[in-house]
Amino acid sequence: MPKIIVQKFGGTSVDSDAHRRMAARKVIAAKEAGYAPVVVVSAIGRAGAPYATDTLVRELKSIDPSTPPHPRELDMMMACGEIISTAVMAVTLQSMGYPAIALSGGQAGIITDDQYGNARIVAIHPNSILRAIERGQIPVVCGFQGVTTITEEAEHGSITTLGRGGSDTTAAALGAALKAQAVEIYTDVDGVKTADPDFVPDCRTLDVCTYEEVAEIAHQGAKVVHPRAAEIAMDHGIPLWVKSTFSDAPGTRIVSEQEVPPSVRQRITGVTHTGKIVFIRLEIANEAHKPLVEQEVYRLMARAGVNIYLVSFSTHAMSFAVSRELYPIARDLLDGMVVPIGSDPGARPISTFYIFKFAEGLDLAYSAQRPLLKPLEGMVEVVDVPGTVFENGTMVSVIAGRHRQVPGIMAAIFETLVGAGIQIYQVADSDMSISCLVAENEAERAVRLLHHRFNLGAA
Amino acid sequence: MGALEENPPHRVSFERERGVYDVEVVRDIGHVVVKVGSGEDRNDRIARLFRQVADEHIPIFLIKLHRSSVSFAVRGDALERVEALLASKGERYRARRDLALVNVIASSMRDLIGVMVRIGDALQRANARLFATGDSHNSVQCLIEEARLHQAVHELRAEFGLEPTDA
Repeated sequence: MPKIIVQKFGGTSVDSDAHRRMAARKVIAAKEAGYAPVVVVSAIGRAGAPYATDTLVRELKSIDPSTPPHPRELDMMMACGEIISTAVMAVTLQSMGYPAIALSGGQAGIITDDQYGNARIVAIHPNSILRAIERGQIPVVCGFQGVTTITEEAEHGSITTLGRGGSDTTAAALGAALKAQAVEIYTDVDGVKTADPDFVPDCRTLDVCTYEEVAEIAHQGAKVVHPRAAEIAMDHGIPLWVKSTFSDAPGTRIVSEQEVPPSVRQRITGVTHTGKIVFIRLEIANEAHKPLVEQEVYRLMARAGVNIYLVSFSTHAMSFAVSRELYPIARDLLDGMVVPIGSDPGARPISTFYIFKFAEGLDLAYSAQRPLLKPLEGMVEVVDVPGTVFENGTMVSVIAGRHRQVPGIMAAIFETLVGAGIQIYQVADSDMSISCLVAENEAERAVRLLHHRFNLGAA
Repeated sequence: MGALEENPPHRVSFERERGVYDVEVVRDIGHVVVKVGSGEDRNDRIARLFRQVADEHIPIFLIKLHRSSVSFAVRGDALERVEALLASKGERYRARRDLALVNVIASSMRDLIGVMVRIGDALQRANARLFATGDSHNSVQCLIEEARLHQAVHELRAEFGLEPTDA
């Protein structure tokens, strides 16, 4: 059995003949070093490029803008970008004297569930890949796609796409299925950085990271490796590398916690930023009724498909965040919403009506509804729930493994940001990070200050 | 013999389950709410508080900023030291002990709609009062009374279709 190495190339690594040849040279170097490379490619270029996934989707949607395309056909269209890219990359390798074969996700044996647009890999039957290797060919596999299990409705399986980070996921899953020596993710940066280089020019490239760190960094905004891929690599113990297609820098090695020294396990890894967030605070006067009112708010948001996070509450208030994209829906739902509460939560008659009210100008429904409750005021209590909104938020996160065992990180963050006049509106922490909600126009300064505070820059 | 014959392909579970796939617990947690007022010195008071706790080498988590207070959790064995510190500094605070942290774990938690309402319903069925919550990309953390832990875990696992376990 040859030593297999999976090499994944992102859109910018295959967007021109020159770049594809640079990518191909990485593949050839692996082959010459005695490995059996299995190549995974993304669609050519990023949004706006002729064969980029976004461009293909726009084309399909333009046919009838009033009717969204069926997810099955949408996935078939979205898969085309990788098919084109795979054929082009295989022919590039052939032109450089190396036999290669292009394989779609289905041809490579990647079986998914049937959730179009966000399918999950359920099995891989890599027969065709292994046979290609036996024949001395370099398999070039479409990232981001698979096929459903064969059923009566889809006799030959339907094409599915894997959603965000799909090509990274393909590479990691193939690495697991083929028991690869390593999975190399090639991109346009030379590894995992301690911050966004656009914000912090002197940020460092990490030589080693744990799977947990890289998954956290990715979740908190850095677009280096998709967390799904990191999870697969972690679950199957496959070493991951993040490298640049355009340089010979060694890149970042991503391994399990057991393979790194304690200093890495307990370090502060980096500072990230992500999201366009609206933070909503609702004041609920009656402490006894508050859990019931809160639960109605959660229920309403869930019914409307609005995801909420950064949830917190105190004796007389609850607050939560929604994405800026969904904020208009959340506000329209909450403005003027009436929650009836019985004196005994399980009993009737109703003792109190809570009605939600935002600031003037955002209270159109409240203004219409409130007078309708006036006649009831003799029988029940009518209580306003004033809402305040912070619209231009973003999350700045310090990635810190085991911060829950290490004192002082929150103190340092607070001193740094508030000391520089940057208001922290809320905090969220997990085992791996502390995130602060700050004004979007302060994100760059906040990242830079925290990066400096924790001495993460180049020595 | 070729590679294929040596390594016959087999079904492997590649990706984690969609949605909630586990409920974990951490026992013996304390929760502290410290009054910091809502005046101009609020931020200074919060900074001072965090620094004092850090100087005592006490890790804090589940940190939440409120209009006139700050709340955080500590391991149960550190609660006494926190209280002593706050009392010595003349801070107004409220501390609760014998709490447990229930972590509801999911892949891409922030893409899951309606998780909070399902957690709230399950905890309500367990008659478990929620003292604080936190959330991250892969978990929702709920601080409840340890006395209600068994029932809460049972209800949460049932709510999300997970096999029952001993909490």
